[in-house]
Amino acid sequence: MNTKNTALLIPSGKSRSRRKNVVFAILAHKMALVGVVIIVSLICMAVFAPFLAPHDPNDQDLYRVLEGPTWEHLLGTDDVGRDLLSRVIFGARISLIIGIVSTFLSALMGSLLGLIAGYKGGVADMVIMRITDTFMCLPVMVMLLVIVAVLGPGVENIIIAISVLTWTTFARIMRGQVLYVRELPYIEAAHADGASELRIMFKNILPNAISPIIVAISIMLGRHIMLESIATFLGLGVQPPTPTWGKALRVGYSYLEIVPLYSIAPGLMITLAVLGFNFLGDGLRDALDPRLRGEGRKI
Amino acid sequence: MKRYLAKRLLYALLILFLVSILIFSIARLLPGDPIQAAAMMNMDLANEEIMDDLRSQFGLDRPVVLQYGVWVKDFFVGEWGTSFGSGEPVFEMFLRRLPVTLELFAGYVFWSFLIGFPLGVISAFKRNTVLDAAITSTAIVGISVPVIWEAIVLIYLFSVHFQIFPPSGYVPFSENSMENVLCMIMPTFVLGTHSAGMYMRYVRSSLLEVLGQDYIRTARAKGLKEMAVIMRHAAKPAMIPVVTVIGIDWGYVISGSFLVEYMFALPGFGRMGIDAIAARDYPVIQATLLIVALFILMVNLAVDLLYGYLDPRVRVK
Repeated sequence: MNTKNTALLIPSGKSRSRRKNVVFAILAHKMALVGVVIIVSLICMAVFAPFLAPHDPNDQDLYRVLEGPTWEHLLGTDDVGRDLLSRVIFGARISLIIGIVSTFLSALMGSLLGLIAGYKGGVADMVIMRITDTFMCLPVMVMLLVIVAVLGPGVENIIIAISVLTWTTFARIMRGQVLYVRELPYIEAAHADGASELRIMFKNILPNAISPIIVAISIMLGRHIMLESIATFLGLGVQPPTPTWGKALRVGYSYLEIVPLYSIAPGLMITLAVLGFNFLGDGLRDALDPRLRGEGRKI
Repeated sequence: MKRYLAKRLLYALLILFLVSILIFSIARLLPGDPIQAAAMMNMDLANEEIMDDLRSQFGLDRPVVLQYGVWVKDFFVGEWGTSFGSGEPVFEMFLRRLPVTLELFAGYVFWSFLIGFPLGVISAFKRNTVLDAAITSTAIVGISVPVIWEAIVLIYLFSVHFQIFPPSGYVPFSENSMENVLCMIMPTFVLGTHSAGMYMRYVRSSLLEVLGQDYIRTARAKGLKEMAVIMRHAAKPAMIPVVTVIGIDWGYVISGSFLVEYMFALPGFGRMGIDAIAARDYPVIQATLLIVALFILMVNLAVDLLYGYLDPRVRVK
């Protein structure tokens, strides 16, 4: 087999210059840049939490509960006298872990099933697409609450529930892409060259169908962080004493009149996280879709 | 067109069937059964005899397929079972709460269209200007802000600080129309912002796409006024992607309405759902999920119908 020649014909999507272009395009895209700055700061916050937090997030001081901002406690203290700033900083950990792991699992599952549905067609396609249509009738947040209520609260259960409910988004996107890519001439060339089905699926189709998945990963990451905080807010998610934004938002909400920062600060962090990933997703869409480049932002 | 409609309707029925099986299974997938789960939440039920009684009362001792059949039949004749928590018939609970949620939805449509459409049109016509950039960034912020946080910030600003609107609670329109409007302004606005952002973006991008088409240039070239070009030639095709988004968005709106009703203590359908989930009240959870699925399927059907009207090509296919 003359693999050398086909290697020239069949793009594998690994071109270095293309990657470089994407990085430049994102840095040039002002909103995406803001998104990157927000995300990098959040990740630093999570990783270096023990060094950044001024106090131990679980240290209670029952003589100083529900205080407003002071020099010692920049955001004030919570209902059992813990330093709010430290809890907000540590809260980034659980949010990011749940967001990243659940998005990874859901993207993996969805892309794989979408790839199979789009490439194989027939029964596989029908079954997978009917499942995604079925899931589409039930709002993710409502189903998440139901599943977590059934499974019981906890980090693993939330991750499982979010991944099981959201893979359909990735499956739809991937299927659509694959249907388009598999008709391109270079796939025909690969077939003619005698490449195996698996090789065509993973080496030739997948890398060239993955751009919209990357955009979706960014946007879904923010959404999953929001879903976790909503479940935790409603008492169905991560359990105390783990510092989480959702829990702080919940407890702080009951003291809104006395210490507004107690709920507003953790809520702002959730908002920033979602915003950061949405900004980045927008930038990625523009950078990865050459059709939109130079036309301003379309969607 | 008739064939197209019939096809969509049959398809919706198939999906409804699949959804109903999924919803039905959830309660059966529990470790133990719904009665045991209810007993864990409510100690009064934790007695084998009472639990067995309840099982036969809810038909849980019959074969699963039969249970499913009975459940579906009962749903369509309005017998949705009784709530584990309050002992009230679920159907009556639903009817009592429906007007609140419908009012919330009406307010949501008002805000999202009022903000989304004009801003989308403006930013399309002022493309690549500072105004356009400002509108598009506001749209992303509107899409990103979580409902619960937006609610908290608005409650703090307008109820605690300025004391313009009541922080929570509901007054029926028939009782006091003024207070009813006041207590619905914040909830409907919070629910509307996300969709307003979405509509803004889609109206903008789809208008830009249509305005670049050859037939628009032709319309302008034959001397039509700009307003006539937009209303007669651009508006209808530009609505197609927007209608899709409006359809897809309802899933989000329902989730949002659950949260908004919870945050603002509105006694609506979503609040009923959240309370039921927290109490693991399975008859109410099942009915809630099935209504939501039915509603979303109907919205999707309506969207398909609108497609047929907006895009003649669909009718032929």
